[in-house]
Amino acid sequence: MAISAQVLRPADRAVGLTVVVLWLLLALFVIYPLLMMLSVAFLDGGKPTIAPLIAVLAKPSHRAALLNSLLLGGLVGLFGTALGFLFAFTVARGNLPPRWVRVIDAATLLPLISPPFTTSISFIFSFGPRGLITHDLLGFKGTNVYGLTSTLAAEVLTYFPIAYLTLRPVLSGISGNLEEMAFSLGSRRLHVFRTVTLPLAIPGLANAVLLLFAASLADFATPLILAGNVFPVLPTEAYLQITGLFDLRGGAILSVMLLVPAAIVYLLQRSWVARGHFVTVTGKAGPQSSIRSVTPTARLWLSLACAAVALFILYLYSLLVFASLVSAFGADHTWTLRHYQVIFTEGRKAIVDTLIIALIGMPLGGLYGVLVGYLIARGPAGGRQAMEIVSMINYALPGTIVGIAYLIAFNDPPIALTGTALIIIACYVFRYSPAGIRTTIALMQQIDKSLEEASRSLGARSAATFRRVTLPLVMPAFLAGVGVVFIRSMTAISATIFLVSIGWTLITVRILENMTELSLGPAAAFSVFVIAIVMAVMALLNALLRQLPTATGEQMQWGLGGG
Amino acid sequence: MLHSRRRGPVANAVRLLNRRCCQLAALVLMAPMFGWTTAATAADTINAYSIWPENWARPMLQEFEAATGIKVNFLRFSSGEALARVIAEKNNPKVDVLFGGPVETFAAGIKEGVFEPYKPPAAAVLAARFKEADGYWTAVADDPLVFMTNQKFLTENKLSAPASWDDLLNPAYKNMLQMADARTSGTAVTRIFSVLQVNDRDEEKAFAYLKKLRGNVQLYTKSGGGGTLPVGLGQAAGGIFFIVDALDTKAKGYDVVISFPKEGIGTSAEAIALISGAKNADAGKKLIDWATSPAMQGLFAKHKINFVPAHPEVKTEASLAEVLKGAKIFAIDDAYAGANRKRIVDRWVAEVLP
Repeated sequence: MAISAQVLRPADRAVGLTVVVLWLLLALFVIYPLLMMLSVAFLDGGKPTIAPLIAVLAKPSHRAALLNSLLLGGLVGLFGTALGFLFAFTVARGNLPPRWVRVIDAATLLPLISPPFTTSISFIFSFGPRGLITHDLLGFKGTNVYGLTSTLAAEVLTYFPIAYLTLRPVLSGISGNLEEMAFSLGSRRLHVFRTVTLPLAIPGLANAVLLLFAASLADFATPLILAGNVFPVLPTEAYLQITGLFDLRGGAILSVMLLVPAAIVYLLQRSWVARGHFVTVTGKAGPQSSIRSVTPTARLWLSLACAAVALFILYLYSLLVFASLVSAFGADHTWTLRHYQVIFTEGRKAIVDTLIIALIGMPLGGLYGVLVGYLIARGPAGGRQAMEIVSMINYALPGTIVGIAYLIAFNDPPIALTGTALIIIACYVFRYSPAGIRTTIALMQQIDKSLEEASRSLGARSAATFRRVTLPLVMPAFLAGVGVVFIRSMTAISATIFLVSIGWTLITVRILENMTELSLGPAAAFSVFVIAIVMAVMALLNALLRQLPTATGEQMQWGLGGG
Repeated sequence: MLHSRRRGPVANAVRLLNRRCCQLAALVLMAPMFGWTTAATAADTINAYSIWPENWARPMLQEFEAATGIKVNFLRFSSGEALARVIAEKNNPKVDVLFGGPVETFAAGIKEGVFEPYKPPAAAVLAARFKEADGYWTAVADDPLVFMTNQKFLTENKLSAPASWDDLLNPAYKNMLQMADARTSGTAVTRIFSVLQVNDRDEEKAFAYLKKLRGNVQLYTKSGGGGTLPVGLGQAAGGIFFIVDALDTKAKGYDVVISFPKEGIGTSAEAIALISGAKNADAGKKLIDWATSPAMQGLFAKHKINFVPAHPEVKTEASLAEVLKGAKIFAIDDAYAGANRKRIVDRWVAEVLP
């Protein structure tokens, strides 16, 4: 087919113009900051140097931070994937009533849409020398809540839903009939699990491990609260280097150290995804035979394990709600709404700023995602892959790097943006639109090109075709993009903590400040508010999605990586 | 198959919206570039970084607004962060005033050339340690450090409240103390200079002590008051805090004890300064006049803020004076602290923290 040649018709300036504008934006907000950061790290008066890198590596604490980050990421990848697999397997093979599946979905969604620190705060209360669980419930003495174990546990609970969302379609996609055949050939259940189910799930598992590794590598909030001084990790070290000592170069170099493993994981993950999942060719799909890959006893245990984890998550969140409703957690448990009053009066600026930023970022992020996705799927052949890779960079990199790179690039003329809302909005749009891009590409692959062809052969130009045919069809992707940008505007902190200013501040940054100011109540109230508003907006967007002619019901793959 | 699906009213609305989508997006993109990108710069508005936590800064600045009609936009940072920001913005200052925070932070700022000298009327009556000779900063309060311990922990371990720096080295506190991180917090810097002072500025002795103390520290927090809640809850046994944070913990209902070391402990003047190149310098000066005078410091008691007033005409509130009675408190020499801050903090990060 000569479609791409047609798209390139010289008369279609709109497409060409869009490509140029998008590349300019990508150059400005993705490539330029990254190059500026690298130049701060590796250039000294115009000459390349690795002396500062060596100086940073010479500090034992920085070397430890690098190793700790890798160790933590690896462990979160393994444990988180295991937990995600448990949930996905139970849902896909457990024959659970739909009601229970919905409960599990809700419990796993909570960590994904919460502001940072929420699990960390509850962890601090629950474990430790006077923790509600370690001391009050179990009677342990002198337990330590800071360090690897609690950071690992909190991150696993925060990020395992990513593994769950990745693995569920994979496991559901493995036909039960295949397992059935193995049974009828006389295999035992465990054998079937080991030789049929697990191998087929391996690409999905590897993908999940990598996603979780990247999420943990990027996580700044959890270690800031829970890692303590014995377990420094790179994102928090880079943050302290910059905010405390205003050592931009040191921060940039620590970020570069973080960049290397992040880039490796990104490339690995790309090649996994490109290789695709195993396709289970079973001929005619046929009616699903009732799944009997787990015994009733095993099913019970699986369900109980999931229920226990889900309950623990709910416990952590109810603790937060409780802290937001009492006078002073741990000392004075009189019910009060004072903290909510505080966040809506003293905290109003943070709320209003955050909402304005989110509301501007939403349509921009949605539109940007759809345009980039469309051009990657249908645009001029040259440069498609380059655009795909560049558009994913800010998403794949840990937020700390992106934030530091923006701070370096946009602090001084020629492009001085620090102090404006624009820098925060740009950060969100270019960092959190890949969800919209991915969904657009996926939808475009499902939409028959003949639809657009027909429009064109009736004389419409690309721009008109895009607006009147393609755009309505990719509306679900637009909404998905809008949704992710909104959630992230409300919950992200790792990049934007460097970008807040006297004019524009954010709820998440206020939560962090509150936590360090003995204002636990307002911190908890802010968190509850964020969760409530995110849930409301998600429900609204899902309702919109259901109304759409093209909705297929599963576009809301929120694409939520690290904060 | 795509056409035959039911079309809801929302879908129609969305379709209508699409037409205008591109134009709209362009407009929205332009909006933040113009007009409202910067904080207000009207004559009756000041921008400030506050090192005081919001709990203290907000009521004070609201009182100022009520008294003068000048609105203060402020953002709170720990002192290291605030100083770092002011230095980074030196060529294009985003704020007019640096408000609150220990004086050694301000002394370090003078070296960086970020302040504009201004002597408010109150400076004439202030003690020498409450003002910089050339007017680069002026004190608004005095804030001694204290030891704060959890009563239940003391009882369970049959300890009395620590009364000496060496008491904190007691193995009973192993892994149970929380105090601030010198990379971000001025509280931490004041604490380290206190240790230097009680060791007659012998750095080797002081760092030997700090390294020993490290063994008992559970966590160094980003903010000066970060450890107060854990100590209140008993998650940590104790720590070294500014009195204003410690008394607030107590006031919230947590069962904590405040004590002082017999060797003495440092107090840091809390200061205010005008930023060099401030865009609203005149209004900023009014805030400095107000904050250094009894007009503000007389309101500490009303808002239950336990700073010790710097202005000689304001009486220390009775219950606060009671706590301070008999305590040996010395002022941190700001010239010495300012000159050595960076070096000492770097040394602390390299030798004590790991």
